[in-house]
Amino acid sequence: MAYEEVKVRKPLGLILLPFFSVVCFFGAWELIVRAGIVPATMLAAPSDVGALFVDKLTNPNPDGATIFVHAWVSMQEAFLGYLLALGIGIPLGLFMGWFGVVRGIARPIFELIRPIPPIAWIPLTVFWFGIGLWGKVFIIWLGGVVPCVINAFVGVRMTNPTLIQMARTYGASDWQIFKTLCVPSALPMVFGALQIALASCWTNLVAAELLAADQGLGYLITMGRRLALPDMVVLGMVSVGVMGALIGLAIDEVEKRLLAGIRR
Amino acid sequence: MTHKIECRHIAKVFIQKGKQRVHVLEDISLFVRDNEFLVILGPGQSGKSTLLRIIAGLETPSEGEVLLDGRPVSGPGPDRGLVFQSYMLFPWKTVLGNVELGPRLRGVPREERRRIAQHYIDLVGLRGFEKHYPHQLSGGMKQRVGIARAYANNPQVMLLDEPFGQLDAQTRYFMEKETARIWETEKRTVLFVTNNIDEAIFLGDRIVTLKGKLPGRMDRVWEVDLPRPREHTDMEFLKLRHTITECCELTL
Amino acid sequence: MAEMEEGIQRLGRQDRAIANEVQKSVRERRPLTLRRVITNEYVLHVVSAAAFLTLWHEVAASGVFKGGLCTPWEVVVRFRGLLTDTLAGLTLWGHIAASAQRIAIGFVLASAVAIPLGLFMALNPYVNALVKPVFDIFKPMPPIAWVSIAILWFGVGEESKIFIIIIGTFVPCLLNAYNGIRLIDPELYDVVKVLGGNRWNEILQVSFPASFPAIFAGLQISLSLAWTCVLAAELVASRSGLGFIIVQGMKFTDAALVIGGMVMIALVAWLSSLLIAGLEKLLCPWRRDIRDL
Repeated sequence: MAYEEVKVRKPLGLILLPFFSVVCFFGAWELIVRAGIVPATMLAAPSDVGALFVDKLTNPNPDGATIFVHAWVSMQEAFLGYLLALGIGIPLGLFMGWFGVVRGIARPIFELIRPIPPIAWIPLTVFWFGIGLWGKVFIIWLGGVVPCVINAFVGVRMTNPTLIQMARTYGASDWQIFKTLCVPSALPMVFGALQIALASCWTNLVAAELLAADQGLGYLITMGRRLALPDMVVLGMVSVGVMGALIGLAIDEVEKRLLAGIRR
Repeated sequence: MTHKIECRHIAKVFIQKGKQRVHVLEDISLFVRDNEFLVILGPGQSGKSTLLRIIAGLETPSEGEVLLDGRPVSGPGPDRGLVFQSYMLFPWKTVLGNVELGPRLRGVPREERRRIAQHYIDLVGLRGFEKHYPHQLSGGMKQRVGIARAYANNPQVMLLDEPFGQLDAQTRYFMEKETARIWETEKRTVLFVTNNIDEAIFLGDRIVTLKGKLPGRMDRVWEVDLPRPREHTDMEFLKLRHTITECCELTL
Repeated sequence: MAEMEEGIQRLGRQDRAIANEVQKSVRERRPLTLRRVITNEYVLHVVSAAAFLTLWHEVAASGVFKGGLCTPWEVVVRFRGLLTDTLAGLTLWGHIAASAQRIAIGFVLASAVAIPLGLFMALNPYVNALVKPVFDIFKPMPPIAWVSIAILWFGVGEESKIFIIIIGTFVPCLLNAYNGIRLIDPELYDVVKVLGGNRWNEILQVSFPASFPAIFAGLQISLSLAWTCVLAAELVASRSGLGFIIVQGMKFTDAALVIGGMVMIALVAWLSSLLIAGLEKLLCPWRRDIRDL
């Protein structure tokens, strides 16, 4: 229906319930740890995690770096991998969508690599790059590049064929059609890839750091496990979650601005 | 005497984006006789679909009331069948499954509802397509399923909301003939909404015209005294078409 | 007029053809030139795959990467051997079965809880208000971040791996079931209302079938995530599974083992996604023809 009837007012229960549920969640968590239902060696109470967070702001021990350093290292890796994935994946996908020769050459290799989870590359990456920055960037790049290629490819393939035929009747060259028609019409799909690729990059960052790292949020989690410090594990998990969510929101905002720019 | 359907001073106000109030209908009063084919003719954005949804019971009027056999309507019910502009077939059901949905919801036993469904599938000319899924059908065929589905529930009143708006001209013309044929085979009270004047004159016993632009208001009621089956090229047909067009254009 | 009549009658008969709405493009015959053969997509596929394998072979044989790379042929030989020989007590089949079993258990458990929960959340605003905020807290956390805590909780056995898989598959299963229902055209519910159905009829006749395709899309996403998760869990600590094969290769700098393990995972993951696709075809017969359009 074209008209939407606005609900006059949400029932009070529906407004309060979310707060209630979040409070209950944290309360129950705190309680089961404090009451000793779950041993302190397995789970840390939210208050402990909070205290550790404050401590880790300045204290580099026992894992060798403050939380800022860990976060900064992770950000660096993630963004390098992400930007490289966008920079290579999107043009490749666009070209694959429009130029048969590029598609013919790139497709079999892409299809070969696509179904392999990026995590499976970790050993080879360690052989090739060691455990430094670039190994991790490579893993993250692998995670991000696949959705970029797919979305850009599909975006170009979905260009309205009538518009392409129209352009042809005006005598546009292949390159002109690609530039002025296919790329703009693929943009919404490409923007869709920004979020998907980011989520994928962030997941693979944690994987890469779990296995081969000496700094970073994933490493913080691993050290927490090795040292049997559940508060450190949870702190690492929460930091990863919060940062992932924040970056996601930022990308969302960028996407909105860019799309608004196009629609204008 | 009570009419089959009576609308008394119906008005509808929607609230948009929190505060904006949009008057869609204002003071609509009309009646439909038993087994009459009434057409509501109005341009786009005149609230005619909303009027039909109010009669179907899917929307509640802000003012006024709808009476069915003299009793006020309080919600949707199987006594009124609705045919949707965008077909609204269930893509996961076959033609047969779609048509037998109404009897099924009312708990009619399998054999019986199969028989009913088959009868209406035959009536709309879809014999042989019972096992097809909607995406395998053309637009005209889809709407035939929509009509059969509404008929199969044996409603007292059929409400059709611009049912052929999405069809090409040829198919549309063909479907109009089919509608007239089906209606004459199994008479029902019909309320037919359209923005096409030819369709209105071709099908209607009476035509209610709405004024353009929101809020939709009653304009006039026209009696169509042409013998059936009608022809678009009849002199009488064209004369009436001319009159209605003139009159409506004056009010625009 | 009569002609038009006849035309329309014919149109009626041709409805079946129109129904399919398949536009067959007219193929024009063009001369077969060398240029056209070379630029043919399929020819290029073969050329490209061959070039890829050759390049791989040459680079590996040149020894630039030392033990870090081996030739494709070495991988094949190594894994043909594993069909009968054992690695840590299991043949290749045993390792595949170990991973597949973990996935199957975790996947079934997660979807059995997540899909009904997602449906409930979409159908009842109170369930939604209660569950959504907590779910939103967990959503942005990558499943792999749970590996460490899983080991703290369950040790290095099967439970921790299944736990990771459940965590990883839960989110997409729930989200897709949830969105599958929220994105239903509300007018479809009107159909049931007008035919005299109640709320329960609406859910049974519209909500469930309409959300099926979305649920299956969620299962596909979940499945590929499940393979990532099981791999991560096996990489960290395990004594069997395809991830274990890769770890062994890493430990002994045996590139054939690593690459072979990667290829096997890709293969098995691909096969399992075919399985889900087949299941969808079976359960959603109305989508059989529209898939590839």
